[in-house]
Amino acid sequence: GKRCTAQKSRTGRLKNPFLKVEDRSCHYRPFYLQLPSFPVLNYCVPKPYSPFEADKKHPSGQKQTQSKQRNKTNSEKDCGTPVQLPQRDKKKRGYCECCGKKYEDLQTHLESEQHRNFAQSTQYQVVDDIISKFAYEFVEYKDDTKKIKRTKCST
Amino acid sequence: GIKKDIEKLYEAVPQLVNVFKIKEKIGEGTFSSVYLATAQLQTGYEEKMALKHLIPTSHPLRIAAELQCLTVAGGQDNVMGVKYCFRKNDHVVIVMPYLEHESFLDILNSLSFEEVREYMFNLFKALRRIHHFGIVHRDVKPSNFLYNRRLKEYALVDFGLAQGTPDTKIELLKTTQSEGQQGSCLQNNPIVALGNEVSVSVTAPKQIAQQSASKASDKRSSSLSKIQSKQGRGGKEDSVHHSVQRSVFGERNFNVSSSTYQENSSTKLIKQSKMIDVSSRKLVTKKKIISTKTVSSGVARKAASGCPSNLACDCYATDRVCSICLSRRQQVAPRAGTPGFRAPEVLTKCPTQTPGTASIDMWSAGIVFLSLLSGRYPFYKASDDLTALAQIMTVRGSRETIQAAKTFGKSVLCTQDVPAQNLRTLCEKLRGTNSSCTRSKDDTHTDSVNDLDLPVETDKQCAPKTLGKEIQHIQSCQESDGALEVKATDMKGWDQVPDDAYDLLDKLLDLNPATRITAKEALLHPFFKDMRL
Repeated sequence: GKRCTAQKSRTGRLKNPFLKVEDRSCHYRPFYLQLPSFPVLNYCVPKPYSPFEADKKHPSGQKQTQSKQRNKTNSEKDCGTPVQLPQRDKKKRGYCECCGKKYEDLQTHLESEQHRNFAQSTQYQVVDDIISKFAYEFVEYKDDTKKIKRTKCST
Repeated sequence: GIKKDIEKLYEAVPQLVNVFKIKEKIGEGTFSSVYLATAQLQTGYEEKMALKHLIPTSHPLRIAAELQCLTVAGGQDNVMGVKYCFRKNDHVVIVMPYLEHESFLDILNSLSFEEVREYMFNLFKALRRIHHFGIVHRDVKPSNFLYNRRLKEYALVDFGLAQGTPDTKIELLKTTQSEGQQGSCLQNNPIVALGNEVSVSVTAPKQIAQQSASKASDKRSSSLSKIQSKQGRGGKEDSVHHSVQRSVFGERNFNVSSSTYQENSSTKLIKQSKMIDVSSRKLVTKKKIISTKTVSSGVARKAASGCPSNLACDCYATDRVCSICLSRRQQVAPRAGTPGFRAPEVLTKCPTQTPGTASIDMWSAGIVFLSLLSGRYPFYKASDDLTALAQIMTVRGSRETIQAAKTFGKSVLCTQDVPAQNLRTLCEKLRGTNSSCTRSKDDTHTDSVNDLDLPVETDKQCAPKTLGKEIQHIQSCQESDGALEVKATDMKGWDQVPDDAYDLLDKLLDLNPATRITAKEALLHPFFKDMRL
């Protein structure tokens, strides 16, 4: 690699134990990890759990009692209250590749004008081109439900 | 819940209505949900199918690339094929044959050694096939390799994260120079934040994805690439670029949204084009920087600039960091996949697009093999890249890891000097039950925290005293675990694992991607002698 010459700068020291990775070109930001303790192979963890499953109580018959106890004794943190959870997982955050933007709620984004426009655009031609090469081998079930004409996909 | 999801799917893609009876949801991931359905075929038979419903935020190019992988490489040699695909607007459903399969965790400790040999052989067959087409899967793991034990059928699934090698035969995976190549900043792409939350779902034994919707694979990434999607008959050419980047658990998301190098007035921008990264779920605007004069000092901000700051400092390979090195641009490299299965060169952000990229899949296969031989799954348990790297070091050795990293241009500094483990010893210790360590199940007095303080590095600590004395060893197994069906008469081949097995494992877990064994070579390894290709 290149030699990196000294410069005046504020420095910080990494605390032991740590791991630091840096590209040898010195063109990029180093990244590092400071651990409370370096991982250790623990042969005592029962199968099939990871030998690195050290800092966690592995699931066992006692798990339930454990968590019950925790709920009783650990009043300091209420982070694990299951009551709040159902509301939370409704919101699906993510990134839309079509619109090139992040969204806070998937459903809301899919209904947005920008996304609707993309969804109905010709951008999907590249997908349709591939679909057009597939052989359609299905037979429709004769259902009592409303008959839907067999539509060739997206034409 | 599920019922509603099925209704919604019929609603989103009405073509499915009279064709499929959708039974249940069998997998869910960040980018797709998979359903089990039956369909009546023109052959007269009713068949089970897997319907993979892609998240509607997927870019059409990504969808097309995944389909192309399935059509070109799929359908033979244990690579999943595709039967059909339905689309309505942004909703795309890929139809695949359904393969009933085991939960890896459930069968891990009941497989015979011979079954393990067959399993690995069939995994390499699939990898040889996709690598032949220049596809790097990037998310090889048991949940993406379906296994039907009774029928001895196998299928590698999920090309949602796939990437092409420089000479890929998959048109839609074609790439140009990689983003994050060392040196020149002529090709740097500022990246728009991705901000995808990562969540690792724990595999519930009963809820295995058929077409794994990449349970734990968080982000997708690939590299700067240019796709000329030739629109059939002389349509317009979109030129699409890919860039890469994903953030990892616990790591700060370092997406760069700033573009040009502000300090530099002579920076010129040319053509901006939409870029999509076929795996990293984000679009980027590419800005080509034509000329960049030397940057006059000035402390760069956290918001990384389009160009790495080439200011030198003397923190390199020391325990120090300073404002200079911390202000440099983050190196962007694809790191899609599942923690614990990522190769060291992936964990250290090695830019890809080298012809040896496919070797990352071979590392992952090695991790699967390691699980099979040790009876532990997942083997590594890390929520971020560097923890995973530290865990690799404890198995393969810190010096060895550091040495190998040098070969691909990375300086790794580690405060711990941990020796490489003998793979046979390691696997046998993890597979066998240790009398000295076994706690009886009803021993409520044992505080698990105390266990963690046990020094476990010394072989004496935990190794069964009777190692080698088969009978006693088996007895201890039976005592400690009644569910374990180990009979003195039938060790299922585990009492005589040949050296070849560990030799192959060693070659798969080669820390140096350049010398790591390929799928083609693995199939010819003595471990598989007498197996028909």
